[in-house]
Parts: sequence; C-alpha cells; structure tokens
Amino acid sequence: MKEFVCHEEDLQPGQMMHATFGKHDIVVCRASDGHYYAFLDRCIHQGAPLSKGKLCGAPQPTDEVGDYDFQQEGDILRCPWHGREFDVKNNGCMLADERMKLRNFKVEVENGEVAVTK
Amino acid sequence: MATKTESRTGLIDTDIHERVMYEELLPYLEQPWRRYITDCHWIQEKHMPYTQPAVAGVDRADARVPDGRPAGTDLGFMQEQLLNPNGHEAGILTGALDPSPSSMHGWYEMATALASAYNDWQIDNWLDRDERLYGSVQIAAQDPAGAVREIERVGTHPKMVQVLLPLDDILWGDPYYHPIFEAAEKHNLMIGMHHNEPPVHYGKWPRYFIEWHTLIPVAHMNQVTNLIFNGVFEKFPNLKVMMIEGGFTYVPFLMRKMDQQYKDLRHEVPWVTKKPSETVKEHFCFTTQPLEEMTKKEFLQVIDQMGSEDIVSFSTDYPHWDYDSPTEALPPGLDDTFVRKMLSETARKFYPKLPQKEG
Repeated sequence: MKEFVCHEEDLQPGQMMHATFGKHDIVVCRASDGHYYAFLDRCIHQGAPLSKGKLCGAPQPTDEVGDYDFQQEGDILRCPWHGREFDVKNNGCMLADERMKLRNFKVEVENGEVAVTK
Repeated sequence: MATKTESRTGLIDTDIHERVMYEELLPYLEQPWRRYITDCHWIQEKHMPYTQPAVAGVDRADARVPDGRPAGTDLGFMQEQLLNPNGHEAGILTGALDPSPSSMHGWYEMATALASAYNDWQIDNWLDRDERLYGSVQIAAQDPAGAVREIERVGTHPKMVQVLLPLDDILWGDPYYHPIFEAAEKHNLMIGMHHNEPPVHYGKWPRYFIEWHTLIPVAHMNQVTNLIFNGVFEKFPNLKVMMIEGGFTYVPFLMRKMDQQYKDLRHEVPWVTKKPSETVKEHFCFTTQPLEEMTKKEFLQVIDQMGSEDIVSFSTDYPHWDYDSPTEALPPGLDDTFVRKMLSETARKFYPKLPQKEG
C-alpha cells in the first residue's frame, strides 16, 4: 500500500503535520536534516494526537547535574499531553525508555511528493 | 467491559478545571476590589519557581481554544473536546487556580471578595449553562468567618457539591477549620482537597518540578493523617473528604502505617475512637489521576491492600497536561462492576447532591 500524503514543500525542516494514510491518522515529520518520517498519530501512552504536540529538541543525557545541553532541534516529537519525547530519527523510540516506540511507516519522496508505504 | 475505543457512558469526572480570565471577574467584584485589578493591575503572585515543563505549560497542547484563548476558558470547546466524546454524565469543577483566593498569603479581604466573585462567575457561566457540570465552593479560609458566610451564601445552590479548602501551613485537623466544616456539613457539602501550590518540601520548593510533582501525594498524606488524628471525624461524623489529584497508590501504605501507629500511640490521641484505616474507608475518597501505568494485576493489588473498592473515583484533570483519558488510563481487563464504580457510582455515592439513581 502506498499513498501520497503531502507535497515536499508543505513541511520545512523541524515541522510536522497530520495526514491520513488509509484508515490511519498519521503524523508526518520533517526532521532537521530534511528527511521525512511518519508515525501513527497516536501516543502509545494514552492515545493523544501527536500532531498537536511539538517537534523540538531535547536536553542530552549528561553526567553533570545542572548541565542542560539542548540538542536535536527538530528531531524530537513531544506528546501534547504528558510531554513524552520520541526521537523521530531513531524509529520513534522514547528517550526515557528506548524499548517503547511509536508505530512508524516508511516514507519516500518521489518527484516532490511525500509518499507513505506499508 | 468497555473497549478502549468506546466512550465511557455515564462517566462522573471528579476533577475538571474551568479557567477564569481576570477581566471576567470584574462584573462580579464590588469596589474597591474591582479597581485594584482595573487601575492597579493586580494579579496574584505565584510562588512556583518553575514552569510546568510539558509541551504547553500547565495545559494539554491540544486544549487551547481554537480562537487562541487559554484552555478551560470556553464551555463550548470543553463540551466538544471532553464532555460529549467521553460520555460525561457529570463533571465536578475544581478551577480557581489563578486567581486562587485560597492560596493568597495576605490581603484576606481581597481573597474573600475574589472567592465570592469566582463562585458567582462559576454559577453563571458553567453550572447554569450545562446540566452536567457541578461546582466547588471557593473560599478564602484565611478569614474563617468570611469563608463561612460564603458557604452560607452559595452552598445552598443545588449544583454546588463541595467546598474546596486551601492547602497551606495550617493543616485541616486544626480547630481553626471547625466552623468551615460545620457549615459544609450543614449544607450537605463535602470537602475537596486539590493542591494548588502545596508546600511539599519543608514548606518550600524542591529544586526541580519533577520532584514537586512526584511528591504531591505527600501533601495529601499530611492532610489525611492530620484530619484523622485530630479527631475531625469524631466531631463531624457526616463530613467526607475527596482527595483530588493525589492519586491513590499511596493510600495502602498510609492506612497500614496509621493503624500500626494507633496501636502503639493511641494514648496520645484518645479522642480517636476507630482504627484509622476504617476512618479512611468511611470518610475519604481518592481520585485516580494522575494514574501510574499499572497492569491489571498491579492495579488490583493496590485496591486489595486498601481493603475497599468503593473509595476510588475516576478523574481526568482536564485540560491539564497530565490529563488521564477515560478510555485509556485504566488497565484493560478490569471487572465491569468495579470499573462502573470507579467511573460513576463511587462519586455518586460520595456526593449526595449529585443526581441519585432511583431505588
């Protein structure tokens, strides 16, 4: 199954949007490097619509208490409710527990169109 | 039991936050109070040193009203996002976070005036406009006589179901609060505890928000323990307390600890005539949110250790960021009858002014 969900220029790096893919609500993210990623638009915790959250960055793990090193701007999808952080470039894994991940879809760009496949 | 995709028909939600904008209170404020806002630009000082570091501060990012107003300010949007899709039969409003008359640390006359204005605004704009919504009487307990007058003034409203007490440095077992309890009992109002800026850390703030948010149940444990060992329920046998937004998983520990202490130290509090855990079961109810993620087995273990499945009531805390979804937050596979109790019947039994089922 393959569907075109948006135009390439609909999203700038660091932006995301809701789309539909078959019967699914999905969130399409364009990460900081310009690549596209797509996930089910439903948080794995309590089902919040992820496209209403933020595509942002995150403080990096550190050994130093009080050290805030904010990186990955545009690559971290934060849930609109409980704020859980998911790394869009790492299969949608949750930062606090990598065993938890969003359901993702394959994305290709063809002639300026963003296509999602399953 | 209901599946995750079904709405929870007949839900009684014990924690919903409506929000007032300061300018909305002006028509309800007499002078000179009104001019302190219009002319002097008074806003309540808040003490929390952090933001609530979710995506949109204290609120769900998707709960902002589409026209840009803050979450919780518009009944129509609340109906569309919360009350209608989730099958609410009733919701208890617990707002008044800003301004919050009950947590003003001075200028008690202004706090009392604000509480009255808030209650009138709440009745006009929420209770009278949606039959599903019920209210909490806001008071400024810093002035107990004024608080009693306010309970007498609006506590008779058929949709006011509880009095929200402030959390501050005078714990609720202190006789200071007896006139308030007496007035609440007289009008069939329960007492609601909802933290606002609770002192959970030696009266101050821990370094990080995550610590404060983790330790909210400590503030709740302080009040439960204080109420019981100060003999409040022996003096006010019809008084009941809804502990809102502290969750319930701390309760088994506290019940066991208080019972053990009572066996050893009863002589210090001879006015306490019952095992504390029995008083908890008779006089307290605990809202579920914010629910920790638990399996069915873990969830039932907690309930089992409480010795009652009749003192836990579901709450969403809408529109705040740590909202619990009525269809997603509870572990799957719980017994239908028990789920029904949590979703509606326990709250119905707790609040006598909610519509009661015939028979």
